[in-house]
Amino acid sequence: MTSTPPQGPPPKPFHLPATTDFALPNGMRVTTVPYGIVPKVAVRAFVAAGAVYESAGHVWLSKLNADLMKEGTRTRSAEQVAQEAAEMGGQLEIDAGPDFTSVGGVVLSDFGPQFVALLADVLTAASLPAEELPRLQADLLRELAIDKSQPEALAQERFVQTLFPGHPYGRAFPSESDIEAFTIAHAQTFYRESFNASRTHLYIAGKLEGDLRRAVEDAFGGWAKGSPAPYLAVNPATTRSLQIVDRPGAAQSNLLIGLPVADPASPDFIKLDVMNSLLGGSFASRITSNIREEKGYTYSPISQIGAHPHLAYWLQSADVATDATGPSLHEIFYEIDRLRSEPPPADELEGIQSYLAGLFILRNTISPDAIIAQLHFVDSQGLDRAYLSTYTQKVMEVTPAGVQAMAETYLVPSKMTIVVLGDQSKIKDQIAPYQAAKQEEPQMDTDKHR
Amino acid sequence: MPITYYKLPNGLRVILFPDSTAPTVVTAVYYRIGFRVEPRDRTGFAHLFEHMMFQGSQNLGKMEFIRLVQQNGGVLNGSTRFDFTNYFELLPSNKLETALWAEADRMRGLAITQENLENQQAVVVNEVETAVHNQPYGGFPWLWMPQYANTNWYNAHNFYGELKDIEAATLDEVQAFFNTYYAPNNAALAIVGDFDPGEAQAMIAKYFDGIAPANLPPRPDLAEPRQEVERTATRPDPLANRPALAFSYHMPTRNSPEYFAMGLLDQILVQGDDSLLYRELVKKNGFTGGVSGAINELGNMFDYDGPMLWTASLFHDATVQPHQILAAIDTVIDALQSKPVEPSLLQRSVTKMRSSLYDTLSQFGGFGRADLMCSYALFDDDPFKIDALESEFRKVTPELIGRTAREYLRKTNRTVLLIEPGAAEGDL
Repeated sequence: MTSTPPQGPPPKPFHLPATTDFALPNGMRVTTVPYGIVPKVAVRAFVAAGAVYESAGHVWLSKLNADLMKEGTRTRSAEQVAQEAAEMGGQLEIDAGPDFTSVGGVVLSDFGPQFVALLADVLTAASLPAEELPRLQADLLRELAIDKSQPEALAQERFVQTLFPGHPYGRAFPSESDIEAFTIAHAQTFYRESFNASRTHLYIAGKLEGDLRRAVEDAFGGWAKGSPAPYLAVNPATTRSLQIVDRPGAAQSNLLIGLPVADPASPDFIKLDVMNSLLGGSFASRITSNIREEKGYTYSPISQIGAHPHLAYWLQSADVATDATGPSLHEIFYEIDRLRSEPPPADELEGIQSYLAGLFILRNTISPDAIIAQLHFVDSQGLDRAYLSTYTQKVMEVTPAGVQAMAETYLVPSKMTIVVLGDQSKIKDQIAPYQAAKQEEPQMDTDKHR
Repeated sequence: MPITYYKLPNGLRVILFPDSTAPTVVTAVYYRIGFRVEPRDRTGFAHLFEHMMFQGSQNLGKMEFIRLVQQNGGVLNGSTRFDFTNYFELLPSNKLETALWAEADRMRGLAITQENLENQQAVVVNEVETAVHNQPYGGFPWLWMPQYANTNWYNAHNFYGELKDIEAATLDEVQAFFNTYYAPNNAALAIVGDFDPGEAQAMIAKYFDGIAPANLPPRPDLAEPRQEVERTATRPDPLANRPALAFSYHMPTRNSPEYFAMGLLDQILVQGDDSLLYRELVKKNGFTGGVSGAINELGNMFDYDGPMLWTASLFHDATVQPHQILAAIDTVIDALQSKPVEPSLLQRSVTKMRSSLYDTLSQFGGFGRADLMCSYALFDDDPFKIDALESEFRKVTPELIGRTAREYLRKTNRTVLLIEPGAAEGDL
């Protein structure tokens, strides 16, 4: 048999699924994407009603509101909503995220127009019944307790606290008393102020049946226009900080290393994407090859570029063996420094470029919800849809020197936030050298998590 | 859509399903060796072995398989399950031949070193630490429940592996495991996506025909005796801060009428906010914020071949006692056993099942269909069974639901697992 892999024929041309965009007179934006042969349709509204609009004492109010919105409308009980959605082969999913609350579901295609009507009822006429409040508060308290027993959640909490001081993005969790103090009026106000046509973009993707445009116009035409979401400026931290979260007896250390980078509207963003995939963002990346496949320090290291509207940050995470905590930091910074100081070999970069080009096809075809996620990303960043149609070309244009420049410009160790959650008695000495970037004044910030 | 199914002379089962919706293709190889059947003093070995399949073969050195798929624009994975271990790639469709060449290369033989093995032993130990030991509720209920509910070692051992067993594995054992189980006559190859079946068959013949079959050992007896007494296990979890409760029932034999009825009972009882246990435990009693459940928590109700559990689980507060929760569950199950299920409820469960089947088959760019095709090829020698699933569920009558609930949702067929939190309430 041959000893080198066959390359296969040239790639087939890839065309992004076609989209139709329109807006209702009240300002609600709508995008439909006919795609695929599976008789299902994803219908999802993104409402600018995420945690970013919560005030300091009201963290998780958006979650409480999402829970309450599942409890029925002015004309349907919660059970009716659930049963109707189930009879359409789906269920109503409401998820309060950092920037948006998404409300939607995936149903059998025949029921697309009917599901649009059900969704509209929930979005525009939720009843937010006060009698359900105590039960939902108890659920949130339980969820909070369980979240705060998870090591990655605690590390993440410290990371966002440090990176986004004083901003809602920095507030991962409420206190128990915050949850206990919620009243139905808080949720009603949040719902009234954030759920309106101006703050909503509805996406419908999959095998489309029936007159969906008509269904959308009928169901949402009467919704109040409201005012668009305000933008809350954010100034992420750019000072080096080593944060230790003590977890006595921990079997591993959870590492998070990150800092703000250029946002998706910047011409650098796609270059950063390429740089990230090569450095730590893929299975064959440098950091993963090093600390997993050479050293065996960890199972699932990954770096990524996280984004909020008009904001992005780079983040490397890894759960590493306790005795490999210092060595893992050493290797991660070694790989960062190496990429900052020399351009990657051309063939290594080409491999990453092909990977991203292939991944782009998968991301835009793998499911109706994946297609929606791509479009929502572009739209929520205020980008032109040409971002998608030119993405692959831009990836291919990145040069080795360009990758190095991205690392050099953005991955500045003296600006990084480092969070290490683990058994402090065992890792303290290992991580001490990382208090400051090389040749800087040491400054260690240590405390136990409550 | 037509499925093509045939066997190579060496026994490899091949299942092809063209679908040109997207210019991508899934290549999946399933070996009929899961974690049930692994050496008794080497728990976790089947999974450790899965990692070794990425560590090098004749023409692909360490990291080269991963790099090959990645630099051709694809993603890959492998997973170890009850009755198979799978390896798959999702690639742009022009790279089908590349994937077939690479899968054939590692089916032909491994080329790994002691150093590779030790590296992956460390990686797998870290994997188990991350997923289980360093995590509250880490093995709840997916890893722990089978250990309490089953009595036959094959079904009841720690299949993620005791760390000492993972660390004790040798290179000779890896080679012996490969020789025994990783043979074409113990495997299925599925291709789903944008390809020409004729061309694919030629490529498959070219790369796989010459791989020698093995003498397969007899399959051990996996049977579980009929459970006659309800079991309750309590497991302390020092990292958890809220109690949790899971309950399991042994499933009817796969592909029997009762098995399909249990698929619908799963829909009726726990799938979705319209389900009976959501209504009872979440809405009515406020015991929990949600109930999750599944037949085969490491896959779906179609991709296993042996004794299986239907399991549901929830988290609750210390102020609520397990017996209160179980009493509420019993009222729901008693009703299903004593009264015919309402036709509208049964109809809704069939609709939900049909919708969920579409999701299963289209999951991850067609990987879900490959999963079912390989499973039915390996376990039943009949991948066409996929096309009959919907009608099997439609055949289920209210009478069959009642009979199935009486025999399989019997209290004496149940195992309850309670998680006793060890972290203090205020220890946030």
